Amino acid sequence: MENSKSKSDSKNLSSRNRVRIGCDVGGTFTDIVLQEEEGDLHVRKFSSTPSDPSRAIVFGIKTLINDLGLEPNQISEIVHGTTIASNVILEKKGALTGLITTDGFRDILEIGRIRTPTMFDLKWNKPLPLVQRRYRRGIKERIASDGSVVEPLSIESLRDTLSFFAREGVASIAVCFINSYKNPIHELAVKKYIEVEFPIFNVTASCDVLPEMKEYERLSTTVVNAYILPAMRSYLAKLQNDLADIGVGCPVQVVASNGGMMGVVAAAERPVYAVASGPAGGIIGAAKIASLIKRPDAIAFDMGGTTAKAAVIESGVPSVTNEYEFRDGISAPSRFVKGGGYVLKVPALDIAEVGAGGGSIASIDDGGLLQIGPESAGSLPGPACYELGNDRPTVTDANLVLGLLNPNSLAGGSLKLNFDAAVQAIQNSIGRPLGLSLLDAAHGIRHLANISMARAIRAVTVERGRDPRDMTLIAFGGGGPVHAVDVAKILGIKRVVIPAMAGVFASAGMLVADLEYDLVRAVNKRVDIITTKELFHLFASMKEEILVVLAADGYTTDNVEFRLKADLRFLGQSSELQVLFAPQELGPDLIPSLTANFLSLYERSFGYVTAEPIEFVNLRVTGVGQKDNRLNLERNKLNQEAREKSLQSLRDVSFNRGSPLQATKILKRFEVGSDLITGPVIIESYDTTVVVPYFSAIHSDNFGNLIMEIDNAEK
Amino acid sequence: MQKNKPGENESNFDPITFSVIKNGLDSIVDEVAYTVIRTARSEIVKDVMDYSAAICDRHGQMVAQAKTIALHLGAIPEAMAKVFEAYDKEEMNPGDAIILNDPYMGGMHLPDIFMFVPFFFEDQVEGFCVVICHHTDVGGRVAGSNASDSTEIFQEGIRIPPLKLFNAGKVNQTLESLIRLNVRVPDRVLGDLRAQYAACKVGVNELNKVFLQYGRLNMRSYFDQLLDYAEKLTRAQIKSWPKGKFTFQDFIDDDGISSDPIPINVEIEVLDDRLVVDYKGTASQVNAAINSTLSYTKSCTYLSVRCALEGDIPNNAGVFRCIDVIAPEGSLLNPDPPAAVAARALTGYRVFDAMLGALAKIVPSIIPAAGEGGNTVVCLSGARSDKSPFIIVDMICGAWGARPNGDGIEGITNASQNLSNTPVEVIELNHPVRIESYEFIPDSCGSGRWRGGLGIRRSYRVLADKAFLQLRSDRKKFLPYGLAGGSPAAGSKNYILSDQGLNEIDSKVTRWVKKDDLIIHEQPGGGGFGPPLSRSRALVERDLWEEKISPDFAKEHYGLSLE
Repeated sequence: MENSKSKSDSKNLSSRNRVRIGCDVGGTFTDIVLQEEEGDLHVRKFSSTPSDPSRAIVFGIKTLINDLGLEPNQISEIVHGTTIASNVILEKKGALTGLITTDGFRDILEIGRIRTPTMFDLKWNKPLPLVQRRYRRGIKERIASDGSVVEPLSIESLRDTLSFFAREGVASIAVCFINSYKNPIHELAVKKYIEVEFPIFNVTASCDVLPEMKEYERLSTTVVNAYILPAMRSYLAKLQNDLADIGVGCPVQVVASNGGMMGVVAAAERPVYAVASGPAGGIIGAAKIASLIKRPDAIAFDMGGTTAKAAVIESGVPSVTNEYEFRDGISAPSRFVKGGGYVLKVPALDIAEVGAGGGSIASIDDGGLLQIGPESAGSLPGPACYELGNDRPTVTDANLVLGLLNPNSLAGGSLKLNFDAAVQAIQNSIGRPLGLSLLDAAHGIRHLANISMARAIRAVTVERGRDPRDMTLIAFGGGGPVHAVDVAKILGIKRVVIPAMAGVFASAGMLVADLEYDLVRAVNKRVDIITTKELFHLFASMKEEILVVLAADGYTTDNVEFRLKADLRFLGQSSELQVLFAPQELGPDLIPSLTANFLSLYERSFGYVTAEPIEFVNLRVTGVGQKDNRLNLERNKLNQEAREKSLQSLRDVSFNRGSPLQATKILKRFEVGSDLITGPVIIESYDTTVVVPYFSAIHSDNFGNLIMEIDNAEK
Repeated sequence: MQKNKPGENESNFDPITFSVIKNGLDSIVDEVAYTVIRTARSEIVKDVMDYSAAICDRHGQMVAQAKTIALHLGAIPEAMAKVFEAYDKEEMNPGDAIILNDPYMGGMHLPDIFMFVPFFFEDQVEGFCVVICHHTDVGGRVAGSNASDSTEIFQEGIRIPPLKLFNAGKVNQTLESLIRLNVRVPDRVLGDLRAQYAACKVGVNELNKVFLQYGRLNMRSYFDQLLDYAEKLTRAQIKSWPKGKFTFQDFIDDDGISSDPIPINVEIEVLDDRLVVDYKGTASQVNAAINSTLSYTKSCTYLSVRCALEGDIPNNAGVFRCIDVIAPEGSLLNPDPPAAVAARALTGYRVFDAMLGALAKIVPSIIPAAGEGGNTVVCLSGARSDKSPFIIVDMICGAWGARPNGDGIEGITNASQNLSNTPVEVIELNHPVRIESYEFIPDSCGSGRWRGGLGIRRSYRVLADKAFLQLRSDRKKFLPYGLAGGSPAAGSKNYILSDQGLNEIDSKVTRWVKKDDLIIHEQPGGGGFGPPLSRSRALVERDLWEEKISPDFAKEHYGLSLE
């Protein structure tokens, strides 16, 4: 299972050393990064075991600590990004789930918001609801919009429904009543009744997951939680058991969709908060780098085999969204196209994803227009140059033909690329039909992929009223450093940073995460009516609830920091803007300061403000459990691999459309020092390739990052 | 990338740059649309999403459209022509916003206010950002300005010819105060107009960046190419269609005043690579508010054809070039002023159904059986206990008919729109009503080898002392048709449950209701496709298992008896 790699980092670490382990489970590889709390970082790649992902994790950890001469009890914490939840939804392998809702509303889940993500497409199909109509049941009860009880809960109707579920083999139950965000009394009563009378069921009540207004979004979120809950619970239990078998008994943390860590207890109760666990690690790692290099406003850019992702970092903090659609395939970067997926109204890193990866296929449509994706050859059969059964040209084929990739050294030389196959594919599918030369066609493919990726970045910057030109692009993932410079140029970005370990950056990134727990409460009052006192009381009760949860992982008032957010909008609007504040601001000046911040944010986003009343919609509180053992990119450095030989070679490269192939210098990553190297040059390492055209220059900083400066005046 | 400065050779077409610009415009226009939702005030815009956004070239030809209400945008050419009649380009300034809503001056019905913001590049108009929003109220005799029983446009609200609401960035106080005084909820209307303006400005700023990069002449040339590209794709597909004349007839139940059925006749003639669509034989204009102006009739026609085209053809003016529309003057589909038009959406839906019926004879592998026949509008208005006015404009959708290769969909926007719905909890928080059901109606689908989608029931309990109800529905008598032997779906029904018991009411209603009355609306389902007896037993059993059909329905339509 282990990949070939030098054992040069084997050494006996002091037995006193405590280590933390970050672990990213991908489709092909399980990347493990081991962090000595006071020392080096060690990186290893293992083949993934998709049928039972914990096998690769446990094997990898065991192998790595053996090689390093560590004892299992030296591991203080394991953090891992998991795609369990997202795979369960994609593959429809969740628990048989029942829904209990208010009589008259059993179909809310399937009706949804009734929009379609495409237009003029009479063949479109709705995603299948996670709970079929048979198992969606209304029972007698009703809460009014002011929270008063219109009709009491009918226990008889509840019992009948639960007996029906038991007969049919339902395993997990979601409970969501109309207006429960105002008064959860009936949901709590149902939950209690189930726990006492029908303990066989797992149960998720919407008030525990998302006590916010809008019944469909709350119900959808609750249903997803119920649907994935049993799978997440058994996976986490198995992982902990298997780790215990090799003597590892430390806490296991899950990376949540918002980039924080969740303890296993919280993850087993609210797995819906970890659906987008996979890509989160890289983005929070990028945020740390942004702060470290004093470029706090940055864009994290992650390009893999099938998709590229972008997220914004402002003042060193990644931008978070409170609602997203989980869908099969690609999420459009557009924010208002709904209906293609499962709505999750939980905090998640605000990631735009487009179907442009190394394996994305280039084709010509009926109108003679060149297009990239959304079809992808993935990693299997992969690009035409892999020669594994795909003969249509991909983005990677274009990069190879242009000389940007080394046919002999991808993934440390374990993967050989066939140059001629790439040429054939591009000529046959693109060059000849469009009457373009080979190089022009290859540049066209690469350029359209760049445009598509730039669109993802625009979605999280320009569409949110932020100017990307003032930001630093932090590029990682296998393809990020290959495309970063041109994507940056399209957007007018002047600086690109390639982190050390760019190719396994997700697992390193998650080691910087703190433990977090989010709560939200509806307020729905005008700011000129609300009192600081009632906000203070609300905060106090939320704070207490959070501390109870975080105590399970050993955190107390002393090391938990609270971050508050006010969701504000003009009265009558449906979309909020969030204003951050600290607990100590809960005083007489709070409302004026929130108001001023909201108005300036609003003006920045939409270009105007009005004098209309402002509504305080929700209070959000995040408890952040902090410890000083987190990965510190200043303190913890990558354990140097055996010095590779300098290549001292040249390769023919064409960087721009219209420029012929020219002999270009190829350097190994360790050859880039603090002195500026001016392009054109290609920099190769085990896990990625950095493209540095003539209009850019590159050097290495003190932290092992490569910094690329781009001259945007150059055409 | 090839870059040309303004003034350089404009015929220098480059396929890569072309793709870049096409994607760039799509992304800009989506950004415009997104800004509207983020800043709008009324449920009809921000929740129901009854609005649309587009970018036009300097001649007013639409080159890009956001994924919003498709039916609005075919009306842009007429509206743009009226704008140009009212203002020369020399009379336009950066920061201007020209609005209009008059159906006889390029609009559709009065609640839809069009806004055009000219885009200037180096002192010349190079294009327009357009946002059309359905406003909650524009005055007139009935709150919501949507009544189907008005007889003249003068009863329907304030009529706005092309006028500047913003002049070089400054609001036109005269026009604004006139609007403020003529509408029932001025804060919402003016707030939504602000949202339209903010969105158009976002579009103008983004267009400027693209023009800076590629230059004026290149952009003009690429705009032309975009239209030609759509035209070329459209013509290629029409060329492959069977030639000849294809007809279909569908009906609107009645106009709400008289009970006479209203026929809509369509004849599509397929000529080489273009279509002539003729509505001869359609009813004369009616003495109620369901007349459709020619611009809206054209819009519905274009959209129907676009739905029959396969692949990702941009919906721009290039598609429109391949379609000639003929509607007799003085008819329902080309009325003479001052005919009332507020509820013209209903007529548009039926034009769509009639067009699809004819298209089903041309491209039978694409066209589904009839859907629910358009959204129902429920408008409730009155005063809260504190005397403040409230207006609910709620739209209920919908079901798709069965497709040639699969079942229809339930709980979905009509295919000619892209509407959303207002959350139950949002309505209840803001208005004195309680929604008591929002669910599918079992057995409401048309049966067939593939069944149609189920209709939806939504009911409203009145919590104010009294309220004025204005309800527009249809397809009670003329049911959503099936195709290829499939059965029609169940029709719509309306009831009021009061202390007088349960009473069925008409499909178009304008009346008072009182506290505690429950208004129940049932939408039609979608028609079936193919003979019901050829539906697989497994699918019938699945419908039964899901409780989407009853055992009686299974027996009656599919001959399936359960032991």
